Amino acid sequence: MQDEESLVRRAQKHDQEAFAQIYEEYFDKIYRYITLKIGDAVEAEDLTQQVFLNTLRSISSFKWRGKPFSAWLYRIAHNQVVDYLRKKKKVTVPLEENLVSAGDNPQQSAERKLDIERVLAAARHLTGAQREVISLRFTSEFSIAQVAEVMGKSQGAVKALQHSGIVALRRALTVTQNEE
Amino acid sequence: MKNKEFDNILDECLERLLVKGESLEQCLERYPEQAAELKPLLETALAAREASAIQPRPDFRARARYQFHSALKEAAAGKGRTSWGWFPRWATVMAIVLVLVLGGGGTVVAADGSMPDSLLYSVKLATEQVRLTLTPSQMGKARLCAQLVDRRVTEIAYMANNGDSQQVEMLTRRLDDKLDLLVVLVGGEEAASAPGMLMAPPTEEAAAPTVPPTTEDSSPSPALAPSPDKGWGGGDSAQNGQNGTRAQLMDTVASDAASNRVALRAVLDEAPESVKGALRRALAVSEAGYDEVLAALEQS
Repeated sequence: MQDEESLVRRAQKHDQEAFAQIYEEYFDKIYRYITLKIGDAVEAEDLTQQVFLNTLRSISSFKWRGKPFSAWLYRIAHNQVVDYLRKKKKVTVPLEENLVSAGDNPQQSAERKLDIERVLAAARHLTGAQREVISLRFTSEFSIAQVAEVMGKSQGAVKALQHSGIVALRRALTVTQNEE
Repeated sequence: MKNKEFDNILDECLERLLVKGESLEQCLERYPEQAAELKPLLETALAAREASAIQPRPDFRARARYQFHSALKEAAAGKGRTSWGWFPRWATVMAIVLVLVLGGGGTVVAADGSMPDSLLYSVKLATEQVRLTLTPSQMGKARLCAQLVDRRVTEIAYMANNGDSQQVEMLTRRLDDKLDLLVVLVGGEEAASAPGMLMAPPTEEAAAPTVPPTTEDSSPSPALAPSPDKGWGGGDSAQNGQNGTRAQLMDTVASDAASNRVALRAVLDEAPESVKGALRRALAVSEAGYDEVLAALEQS
């Protein structure tokens, strides 16, 4: 993607091509981020779509203040998830048929679906902050510095959350496996 | 303090493992004292990373892209219009009567957002034809035609994501026809002289519109209907402001050309191998056609 700052500035001036590039760059990442945060791939579709429509409506309010555009975009996604979880009393469980993983044959795909479901289910045992770190680090490939930027925390705090998050994930995955 | 040190080591290993592509063994060799504690955590991190292979479903991706591009255009236009906002009253009434006769009001509305794999798609084509025919002015027809071109591109993207190369080929021919028509319309020739496209009755495939409304249809949600800013019809009530209208059309076409090029190329990157050939042809037709339309607009 070309220089993000100039791209965003063009998008703020209603340049459709620039906005389309931003959309293509971030769509999958935001989708994965939301899926891991809420553990439901179908609900994540609607939320992802809404994130980009909200971004379209509010991009003119985005100001460059030393923070990357992605931090702002993920903040919108985060708020969308918070809003969703607040409205939803009960967390929905998976949707086997709707998980799609890239490049697998049917058997591999079925096995991978199980793996993905396990991780999604285990992620529900994490605290909100832990899940945020794990989502950003492992689905959106953010560095610790970027995660710290998005979450407004120190890098040390993010590393600690990363550690405790992986431990909690490990524990939840072990429990799930034992139950099976 | 010890925890903080371990947090740093864990993060270092994660960077090596997940970003730099080192193996688990290589990572553990660097920190033999912490290896026992690190190993299960790194394995868990790898499992979490696997979850990142989740991809949005192709049909959802196509629908979302379509809706987003519609919203984008709406935002660029800066104002909303009703679907019939540009249409003279008499023509609105006539068109409504006709489309009701052809397909039933609810069906027509539902068909507007339908895709080629839907039963309602033939109604959509018939409705487009009626609207094109009833649009009174040359410039209005051109604007409508530009919208139809945009629709065909969206449909191509949708069918490519579904892996249907035959439909992509078919839609590419329709796209080509509409781009040719658009060149004729913006070139100043009389609409009726455009090779049998406007005044002809609906084509064979569009002529079977008596499909009852159905809730089982696979058409996208009403949210995927054409963006309200563009509306349907596009009839100019006067010749005044013709130059401004022309400039607006040029902006619209240039903008559509750019965003559709981005969209089709993005689809091409992710589409199944079996449709890539058809999709490349569609992309070539789209790019060449848009160039021709823009050249015609500049010349006239």
